[in-house]
Amino acid sequence: MLLKHISLMFAQSYDLELHTLRNSSMTIEVAYIHPLCDEHKISDFIFVPFTKEEQPYSDQLQRIPEYKLVTDVSKWQDQLLRGHVLIEADGDVYAFDAKRIISNESPKTQVESAIQGPQIALSEDLKNSINLIRSFYPTPDLSIEEHHIGNMSQTPVSLLFDQRHVDMRVLNQVKEKLIGMKTDMVHAAGELGKLLVDKKKNLFPTILITERPDRIARSIAQGKIVILLKGSMFALIMPVTFFEFMHAVEDNYEAFWMTRFIIFIRYAALVLTITLPALYISVVSYNPELFRVQLAFSIAASRAAVPYPSFVEVFIMLFMIETLIEASIRLPRYIGSTATTVGGLILGQAAQQAGLVSSIMIIVTSVVAISNFVIPISSLSFSMRFLKYPLILLSIFFGISGVAVGVFLYIVYLAHLRSFGKPYFRVNGQLNPIEGDIGQVRKI
Amino acid sequence: MNRYFFYNFACVSFMNLMLFVPYVLIQHRYDGTVMSLVIAPVVGTVLLYMYTSAMSRFPGMGMPDIFRERYPRWFSSMIIGGFAIMWWLSSVFVIVAYAILINRFFNPDANTFVILFMLLLACGYAATRSSLTVMFVLEILLLLNAPFILFILVKMLTDTQFNWDAVHVAANYVVNMPNLSALAAATYIFTGYISMSLYNRLMPPNFQYKYRYIYPVFGFAVLLATFFIPIGLHGTEAVGQYVYIWSVTADSLIMQYGFIERLLFLFLIVFLNLTLVFTMTAWHQAMEFVKSCLPGGKPEVDNHRIPVSNYVIIAVFIVFTLAYMFLVNEKENVRYASYWLILRLFVEILLVVWIFVLSRRRMDRT
Repeated sequence: MLLKHISLMFAQSYDLELHTLRNSSMTIEVAYIHPLCDEHKISDFIFVPFTKEEQPYSDQLQRIPEYKLVTDVSKWQDQLLRGHVLIEADGDVYAFDAKRIISNESPKTQVESAIQGPQIALSEDLKNSINLIRSFYPTPDLSIEEHHIGNMSQTPVSLLFDQRHVDMRVLNQVKEKLIGMKTDMVHAAGELGKLLVDKKKNLFPTILITERPDRIARSIAQGKIVILLKGSMFALIMPVTFFEFMHAVEDNYEAFWMTRFIIFIRYAALVLTITLPALYISVVSYNPELFRVQLAFSIAASRAAVPYPSFVEVFIMLFMIETLIEASIRLPRYIGSTATTVGGLILGQAAQQAGLVSSIMIIVTSVVAISNFVIPISSLSFSMRFLKYPLILLSIFFGISGVAVGVFLYIVYLAHLRSFGKPYFRVNGQLNPIEGDIGQVRKI
Repeated sequence: MNRYFFYNFACVSFMNLMLFVPYVLIQHRYDGTVMSLVIAPVVGTVLLYMYTSAMSRFPGMGMPDIFRERYPRWFSSMIIGGFAIMWWLSSVFVIVAYAILINRFFNPDANTFVILFMLLLACGYAATRSSLTVMFVLEILLLLNAPFILFILVKMLTDTQFNWDAVHVAANYVVNMPNLSALAAATYIFTGYISMSLYNRLMPPNFQYKYRYIYPVFGFAVLLATFFIPIGLHGTEAVGQYVYIWSVTADSLIMQYGFIERLLFLFLIVFLNLTLVFTMTAWHQAMEFVKSCLPGGKPEVDNHRIPVSNYVIIAVFIVFTLAYMFLVNEKENVRYASYWLILRLFVEILLVVWIFVLSRRRMDRT
């Protein structure tokens, strides 16, 4: 019965195992997909007890909770594809979980490393990740829900939050999004993050992607919601503010004043990486009198050999540095260093000597690139890489005032963003809880 | 949430430089400005106390909501529309003056219209956002610019060329009777509280106006700086020859160790930010006033989806501002701004007294 059904349901494939077993008292039919399952588990739990007959096998099927009765025929396919073994005995069909998951065993942090902090990262297996998070956050209030996403991939997703601290409105919003999600496949945390956000064309990430269990535990304690995805080493944290993207976990571990200073440096670097190319254009082409005379002269002198306007120079250099960054991310680690040496040292030096770009421009480019790497979360540093181009356009047409207006527009855009209904970019001042926050007007 | 009230107040009081307040004050420096400087804080403080205590009786309601609750629709729409025009005009003077300033100091070759258009688009985009966003932007930009404003002020006051004698001479004209245009200009600095006409909608129900004694002190300090710093740096006579008096004053200073040498550029960037912020809040308020005249549901303070009406109203504002720029030359802009300052004083007193009376009646009723 079972075997016939299944051989009809599946396309012909050799890894589908269909067996009929007989012992002295009963006959069972067993079906599973060989590569998805753990052979040892199958033989230990099914084949051996069935053939040894120390206990009647039908008793075992009914008593051991790992055998789950499946009444719905339409679920058979799903169960098999998720590494379950289907067993038919006496007309009933049971599913037995024997899945084998291939994943990195307790991987080290790679993307968000901290010098003195936990070095362990989330695992690609949901169970291991939840194990880690539970051990970082051992309170009974931690609530974990399971969802499946993707019509075809049916990727398991876990929703974690602290039921005491979580904001119910945000939670409901997230759950609604998860349930109403229409997509075929989800395989990466970033992909899920994009689906969770309302706006499809966004400039800034409004969901934080992290691999660090300490960051996750801290966020859960702050009442945030964490989503884990099977097969991805990264978790999604929501709602978040802009400032959390600029915050490295180490800021919590090191001395107070030093970390304040480093945070300040990060913001200064952020401003530099966004505005510096645009300011270069506006100073060179519009307002050389902005700088003191000596500096203005040395900039002009270094541009003496350059035959075209400043923005062409900026485009050449930025194109080079962007391709260099892109190349060193994609290339294998051993060739990567070659690319940076060739690109950074040789090309930069040669371009300046050939009179293609000025030496000041090379400094500007390297400041832009280095400052960009200071941002701790890579999704923000990606979007910051883009932000300088609109400013360059504004500076070509309007000079310094254009850059200032552009920065104003960015701030307005940031303040306009909401992460699951929470403000994304605002000054978090003192809050009198009796008085309430601005905008918390009563609903009439 | 008193800090948001303070930001509104501070933003408007700094904006006096763009509205030709120092120009008006200095024109009348021998016939009544100094006395006006003494009277203005009194007038401003009385109005501020009246208005804030009146508004605190209407929690979560703006001025349009109050009028619409009391009066028939046509009447309230007319009144609110009139106020919307006043609000809109204030920002028009500012932004047009700033477009001219950019043209004069930053890009002398550029077309003023193009510059103005860019500024208007930026302010328009910002003004169409929700009220809550506007407040966030106001706060962030004021905090970002505050250190620079302080730096500029300290730099000016500690300059060795600053002539305190000139300040004494000017101050000695305190005995002259105040005149209307100087008084109107001086009270403008205290007018920031009027932004609560809209932003009172954002205040949580338990909100109370606190630390109100700060505002007269702060406003008076700004007022003194506005009037006396140019006099101290230019002298009592030469100061009367400039229209954009504060830009010229900033240009008379250098930063010896900075790699930007002229203080002017720092000043212009700071005031560009303030101008954009001011125009954003003024237009946002004017836009919400116009919207409250249109039929529609309850006003939202944090709507994520921007209604189309916002864009339409702001587009109309942009077109009219460009038309204003086209029709009015620089000289007339200064003159109209000073007329507007006088008109503003009366309209403001009218509005404050009106709302105050309504709030008393509301109390009697309950």
